[in-house]
Amino acid sequence: MNHSSLSAFLLARLRDGLLVLLLITLVIFVLGHMIGDPAALMAPVDASEQEIARLRRQLGLDRPFTEQFATYFGSLLRGDFGQSLWQDRPALTVVLEALPATVLLTLVGLVFAGLGGSLLGVLAGARPESALDRCANFLSITALSVPNFWLGLLLIVIFAVQLGALPTSGFTSWQSLILPASALAIIHGARVFQLVRSATFEEMTKPYALVARSKGLPERLILWKHILRNTAVTMLTTIGWEYVRMMGGAAFAIEVVFAWPGIGQLMIHAASRQDFPVLQAAVIIAGAFVIVTNGIVDLLYRYLDSRIRAA
Amino acid sequence: MRTSLLKNLALFIASAFCFLGAVAKPSRPVVIAVSTEPSTLDGQAVIDRNSRVASGNIFESLLDRGANGQVIPWLAESYKAINDTTWRFNLKKNVKFHNGEPFNAEAAAFSVNRIVDKEYKTQRASYIENIKGAKAVDENTLDVMTDGTNAVLPVQMTQLVMVPPKAAKEKSFGVTPIGTGPYKFVRWERGREIVLSVNENYWREKPSIKEFAVRVIPDPQTQISALQAGEVDLVLDLLPEQAKLAPKFISVPATEFSYIQFNAHKKELADPRVRIALNLAVDKVTLAKTIYQGHGRPMDAQHLDKAMLGYNAKIKPYAYDPKRARELLKEAGYPDGFELVLHAPIGRYLKGEETSEFVAAQLKEVGVKVKIQLHEWNAYRKLGRIPGKEANAFDLKYGWNSNEWFDASRIVSHITCDGTSSKLCEKKIDELMDKAIQTLDQKARDQLYQEVWATLNKSPHAIYLLQQNLIYGLAKRLDWRPRLDDEVRVAAMRASQ
Repeated sequence: MNHSSLSAFLLARLRDGLLVLLLITLVIFVLGHMIGDPAALMAPVDASEQEIARLRRQLGLDRPFTEQFATYFGSLLRGDFGQSLWQDRPALTVVLEALPATVLLTLVGLVFAGLGGSLLGVLAGARPESALDRCANFLSITALSVPNFWLGLLLIVIFAVQLGALPTSGFTSWQSLILPASALAIIHGARVFQLVRSATFEEMTKPYALVARSKGLPERLILWKHILRNTAVTMLTTIGWEYVRMMGGAAFAIEVVFAWPGIGQLMIHAASRQDFPVLQAAVIIAGAFVIVTNGIVDLLYRYLDSRIRAA
Repeated sequence: MRTSLLKNLALFIASAFCFLGAVAKPSRPVVIAVSTEPSTLDGQAVIDRNSRVASGNIFESLLDRGANGQVIPWLAESYKAINDTTWRFNLKKNVKFHNGEPFNAEAAAFSVNRIVDKEYKTQRASYIENIKGAKAVDENTLDVMTDGTNAVLPVQMTQLVMVPPKAAKEKSFGVTPIGTGPYKFVRWERGREIVLSVNENYWREKPSIKEFAVRVIPDPQTQISALQAGEVDLVLDLLPEQAKLAPKFISVPATEFSYIQFNAHKKELADPRVRIALNLAVDKVTLAKTIYQGHGRPMDAQHLDKAMLGYNAKIKPYAYDPKRARELLKEAGYPDGFELVLHAPIGRYLKGEETSEFVAAQLKEVGVKVKIQLHEWNAYRKLGRIPGKEANAFDLKYGWNSNEWFDASRIVSHITCDGTSSKLCEKKIDELMDKAIQTLDQKARDQLYQEVWATLNKSPHAIYLLQQNLIYGLAKRLDWRPRLDDEVRVAAMRASQ
């Protein structure tokens, strides 16, 4: 890959990324305005129409939709995501404060999902129908079939309530990380496992593997040297995709179940208080994460692919 | 060699787990779980319960509520109305805010004027209605001026918290709140917890719990798990089916009254006999026993608890009597019943949808066919405000009335001809309600409201369902009697280790 093609590639990705972000912004803004009236929600139950109208004026919600969007988008360009209606401080600050916890949780979850899923996937794919393959396959199908939050609650009941070994929820010590990260690792590792397993299985039957085998190379060497090199691309893209899935919402449900102080929990609170600015900022930031992750995966893919070709 | 290594390893892992367990459960402060994080801890800005768990222990008001819900002096030693529009409060001496600022008439006047300022954003709008402002008469005397005669001012003052003038002017007041209360703010880790510690210079008896934390746990199932695992000591608002899972639970009557409001302007419902018949047709006792598993009881056909001003002891729940209901409907000219639509909000009230189904089934028994329509909260609220005579007004509407004022005046908007949510127009009720709000003598006011309920008993504005309970889940070590108003006062709690 030469430099000019790389920079062209990066520029194209950047352009697409910004376009997607713009679309996200528009969609979330329109949705936010269709859903309801934050002034009515913030006011006490028995507030009169006048009181609600007063609140609406204070919040600037009485102006026309286009004007509100133009103002919003203009400020976005200056890095101003607006003021949180609920916390009365900059929405971006609110989101950025919650972001590290989400990044920590998702990265730890991803590392274990990636390592566990890939390792088991390669071993199972190399020996289809073995005890290990059947067992891991059964577990991963099970993990993929149950709802995320339910798996989280199950882990809480077993490890925190029954065994008393780990905290149920919150983020008070490093032990608090174990259960939510495990839940994420199980859910996402299961899918990594499925894809790596089938990729390995496929590679095992390809001509080059047969040739290597006929040459008398030991099975272990074939697997870890040749097969792995070719499944690496699948692994990488799958793991990247799983991160996208996490940041696209899967991790947020886990955060809520485990009372993890990340942007998922923040979004639930913001939604229940119809705090548009925070919701918008959180969705845009999460969207940016997805776009950047995609870009990195693409880049690595090109790099690995060219190396494989070169080899 | 090898086995001993394995043994050592096993031992190490086992001890590591013990260590983990020991670390996870040191002697820790009392922890209270809430489902959403407060927006601010400025006690004057917010009203929701999750915020009050923290701010209600930091701030205090001139007046408070006693064990039975009666209004009692607190930061004020005494108070009286000196004319139709002025109330005078004699303040307690030698009380200081947590930051050392003195609590005096100056500070009290500042507090009142701060919250009534139109520029100040508060959710406590109903608590400042008809309050004009306040001024200090001398160091310890405060005058509060009202807009016209305002008989409920003492009630409003129980929720108007006192703030220190210097600190409250800072923008950071909402995240570093300062009051006169038994607990001081220590720290707030967003999305995690709020920590408070005892105020060593508190003007009353010092609380026994030295430190407590308010932890945010959004999922109700996780809350009960945390309680079972011994990580939290108090969970608010358990579901009826969760109560038995808690190490200890307390179920107390709340200031919440569930009802099905009539549109008395609708042809079939205009006749009071029909409205009484529908009240007789619903078996409130069974509703409380089955759907709420006993966590609630039929209200005494008035949105009031015994302890509240205006409670009429002579009025009892309408007995369950479907036979009499059918007779009344016949008398009113509806021997074959009629059809109605019952509106209810989605996911707003505990078991609201189930209760609506229950009532619909019971009304069918006496020949009134009810169709249920569910609405998203904002749409539901808008519907409630459509005047009764308009074509798209509701027939029946399920809701809860929260009487946190402990005062019958709270219901005015539901029963007077011009009330924002009212679908009933009885001249006599309007006269009584008008007179009551002008009456500063609380005994006379009490009598007037009792008469209102007596009148409503002959012309009900709703099917009176239940006084709902609040269910608290407690750790074994925690000792506490919840209050009738749902304030969570940690100063009244005891915790053994």
